[in-house]
Amino acid sequence: MFNEIISPDLSDLPPETRKFHAAVREYARDEVAPKALELDLQEAEDFDWEIVQKGHDIGLTRAVIPKEYGGLGVGVLGVAVAMEELAAACPAVALIFGATMLGQTPILLSGDPRLQARFLPIFGGDQVALACNAVAEHEAGTDLVIPQNAVHARIVTTARRDGDEYVINGQKRFCTNGKVADFASIYANMEGYEGATGLTGFIVPLDAEGVTRGIVADKMGYRACLGSELHFDNVRIPVENMIGGEAEGVAISTAQGNMARSTVAAISTGIARNALEHAVEYCGQRVQGGKLLHEHQFTAGKLATMTANVDAARLLYRRAADLVDNQLPAPEYEPAVAKLFADRVAIETAGMAVSLMGANGFVREYGAEKILRDSYGTRIFEGTPEALSLAVTDCLYREEDDL
Amino acid sequence: MPAFPNAETAAEVFGELFTILAADEEFTAKLRENDLTARLVHTKPDCTIFLSADKVIVGPEAPEDAAITIKMSCDTAHQLWLGKLMMPAAVATGKVRIRGKVAKVLELVPILRPAFDRYPELAAARGIGA
Repeated sequence: MFNEIISPDLSDLPPETRKFHAAVREYARDEVAPKALELDLQEAEDFDWEIVQKGHDIGLTRAVIPKEYGGLGVGVLGVAVAMEELAAACPAVALIFGATMLGQTPILLSGDPRLQARFLPIFGGDQVALACNAVAEHEAGTDLVIPQNAVHARIVTTARRDGDEYVINGQKRFCTNGKVADFASIYANMEGYEGATGLTGFIVPLDAEGVTRGIVADKMGYRACLGSELHFDNVRIPVENMIGGEAEGVAISTAQGNMARSTVAAISTGIARNALEHAVEYCGQRVQGGKLLHEHQFTAGKLATMTANVDAARLLYRRAADLVDNQLPAPEYEPAVAKLFADRVAIETAGMAVSLMGANGFVREYGAEKILRDSYGTRIFEGTPEALSLAVTDCLYREEDDL
Repeated sequence: MPAFPNAETAAEVFGELFTILAADEEFTAKLRENDLTARLVHTKPDCTIFLSADKVIVGPEAPEDAAITIKMSCDTAHQLWLGKLMMPAAVATGKVRIRGKVAKVLELVPILRPAFDRYPELAAARGIGA
């Protein structure tokens, strides 16, 4: 259902972005949406390469990569509007491509032509290729992404320099695409640094000796994408695979997170939009008390609130993504606020859709309960509300730092 | 202690550096191809440079309007061009701030090599140490 209010066209975007968006909308509608419920019922380790290959064919694995490396170069805003479309069909499929972009981002941020020439062209071929990002560990989550926490981090993956190589040891968790990606952007603490104060970014090919792809998490939603562990046992990688300098990992990771949050907010917006579409369709057909549900004032009030919230979430993520495309370092405030608002909207809108649909909202065949389960995922990715709230309030109290 | 004693010295060093860069055919071709202009705002001491495929303008006459604006202190610029500061880290930590099409800026980074190669010698010639 493509109502112009619920899913507006994007006439204000550049022609190339609109063309890409149109292709993604068609793919989401014709390929992803019809399989969404089937994908949701699959086992934790199942992966639908066919649907991912079709996404690759329209450029979803290379959207943010510059054209000179075979990408589409549509920027973060182009990726974000694509994420909304995909998430409105199935957020797990959106996340497969979103996680790939996340794994590519440190290479883009590195500005290192050799690293870019080695790892970016693989996404331009006919065969689908995926990337992933590896940050979280058993004992360290936000300790690896909040600079002030780094000193307190415990039992972190380590790296040590040995000649022309780095040797990496440790385990990462919740790596979306970890089971299926060609390489991972990972963060490891240089030996000799306390906590995670020596955190450093590396590109690790996942076929390197000593890498093991661990168990896949059995999640309440996002069943079509695989979040797995990655184990590194004396993995040797060339020094050229380091990103941005030793002990600069927290800064790089922070920049990466700030860039990614607008696209996560876009996924939340897509989830909320899907919930709204379900509710609008249902309330436009269901008759109770002699009239359609949407003609009951209390129901109308809910539908209006849901619509306004989806619209507001979209405006916030688009503002954030546009800023990310136009300034470095990526802004902290706008993406954080966009994500903070959009993930709440996704959960609330999904909850309202289930409520409006009554018992039909509670059973699998109508799809609303899947939306509700999925809505909690984007609350976690790239910063919980608790962590983001610290980032937002930090911006409120930060004094202008004049260079 | 600041690397540059005054604005005049900064203007001389950075002006010459970007004049060298503007003479590099690969660099100017990239600027022309993307219709790119850049305004480099150095602070402490202040020194502003406008760069296009056709000209380099140093000082208060540098046009305000440019596709990309890059702001950093002269000390940061000095460390950066000496190769002592990694660009990704400098950008990530806000020591270097860029406004404009980020993708275009990232495309420019790899072709700044001539500036990195020549800067130590230019700075040393004016008594600016490493």
